[in-house]
Amino acid sequence: MSELAIEARGLVKRYGDLTAVDGIDLQVSSGTIYAMLGPNGAGKTTTINMLTTLVRPTSGEARVAGCDVLRQAEQVRRRIGVTFQDIVLDQDLTGRQVLDIHGRLYRQNGDLRRKRITDLVDLVQLGDAIDRIVKTYSGGMKRRLELARGLMTDPTVLFLDEPTQGLDPQNRAGIWSYIRDLNRQQGLTLLLTTHYMEEAEALASQVGIVDHGKLVAQGTPADLVAQLGADVIRVRGDGDSSHFVAVITGMPFVERVESDSDSNNISVYVDSGSRRLVEILGASSGNGYQVEDVTVARPSLGDVFLHYTGRALRD
Amino acid sequence: MYATYVIWSKHMTKFWHSVGELFGLALQSILWVVLFGVGMRGMVGNVGGNDYMSYILPGIIALSALGGAVGGGMVLLDERLRGITKEYLAAPIPRLSILLGNATSTATKALIQASIMLVVGMLMGARLAVTPLGWLAAMLLLALFAIGFSGLALAVAAVSRTIGGYHGMIFLFNLPLLFASNALYPLKVLPTWMQVIVLLNPTTYVIDAVRALAFGADPTIPLLLSLAVVLLFAILGIWLALSLFQRSVLRG
Repeated sequence: MSELAIEARGLVKRYGDLTAVDGIDLQVSSGTIYAMLGPNGAGKTTTINMLTTLVRPTSGEARVAGCDVLRQAEQVRRRIGVTFQDIVLDQDLTGRQVLDIHGRLYRQNGDLRRKRITDLVDLVQLGDAIDRIVKTYSGGMKRRLELARGLMTDPTVLFLDEPTQGLDPQNRAGIWSYIRDLNRQQGLTLLLTTHYMEEAEALASQVGIVDHGKLVAQGTPADLVAQLGADVIRVRGDGDSSHFVAVITGMPFVERVESDSDSNNISVYVDSGSRRLVEILGASSGNGYQVEDVTVARPSLGDVFLHYTGRALRD
Repeated sequence: MYATYVIWSKHMTKFWHSVGELFGLALQSILWVVLFGVGMRGMVGNVGGNDYMSYILPGIIALSALGGAVGGGMVLLDERLRGITKEYLAAPIPRLSILLGNATSTATKALIQASIMLVVGMLMGARLAVTPLGWLAAMLLLALFAIGFSGLALAVAAVSRTIGGYHGMIFLFNLPLLFASNALYPLKVLPTWMQVIVLLNPTTYVIDAVRALAFGADPTIPLLLSLAVVLLFAILGIWLALSLFQRSVLRG
């Protein structure tokens, strides 16, 4: 059994009448990448804020890197790195000054700071730009600088709140590869939040699906997907689908049928997509339903999300 | 308190690199003294045996420190609204150091401004007493005063939701601190009810003491009392800022 880097029990945060986080339990093993996946406003950022000691939970408790976030906040802060959802950089300093001041706040000595900055500039490929004023950076460069700042103090656990939000695909792929390298080469534990399905799929060894302040499902991406069935046949059509759904739900090889009312899509989870396609389509004829499009695919985290929350996750 | 020093040095680094802020500070200092001093001197002549320029200079310096503190509060508000304070909050440093780093950098700028003003004032005929120790004491008092008022400004900045709201609140402080003091006119020319208000204003004490220490005027308030009042003001200001800042942080 590996040690837990993050352990939360019954975390709740209320703002007046609004319950932002409604009893979240988390277990993140050391050396893993955990992705909290959920739509905006699901309570991901509030959860991160509680785990990073920025916000005091209304109730519940949590330990991060072995220390209690309420009673040992100072020790927790010493052991973690954080990047925030918004870009939080002093725009009038150079990248080097940003990293240097950060290191000084954590009482790193001059030699160590210089060495860390050299290594990190190399890692996030900021090059000569490190001596330019942050104001002149592109969005992707600012994100990379923030990642470097989060790593400056060599944390045990790194929290990344929406690390690639608003980035172009190239920058996103860059950040992903840094995150993977850090995890693989240094055994760094990462907790990140995202509302991008692909991001969770590409990075996470554990995924937690968050909706309305609750953790509705948790597991490895493969396990979560496997629970749904081997294959999914997606049917899009026009007209009244109730009869069609009733018929296929009764078929022995159909594990689950889900309809997304927003898009008129019906997802049919079966043991084998190619083998069952004809029978499924056969059941669709007549009874006021007209099939327009059919695809067979492996289920994705997107399907898992739809399954647990009853709606598709959109950006 | 090492973190205070780090945050102070960050603000100072930004200050030295900001041509606009440096130039603005210098020009402001000169304009204050020239416009205010010359205009009022033409009207008044001298006060209690001293020339009006020497009389009014400590007042102008104290009031410009108020202006600096308002700017310091703006910096915190800006950092709060843009989320930059989160970097400090997630770091293993006391909350107090965030505020003290800001207030001490404000005080440092106020002292730089005071020095420029003294030079300009002397060029315009103010007569400084030759007491280096007195100058030092006057500077210390000014620094404490700037820290105290920074505290008030930071307290307002800690709870303001918008820049407009901040300035509205600050204006309420600023006006009485300027006019209900001995900055522009001596205490004894005022009616009694006004004297009471003026004596409640810490600005009065710092100005009276600076006049005595740096310009050789006779203190109308005992120097030690002035020092005590200004010190208390600095502590209260920072305490207020800290309690409101803690509250706004905990609310998340």
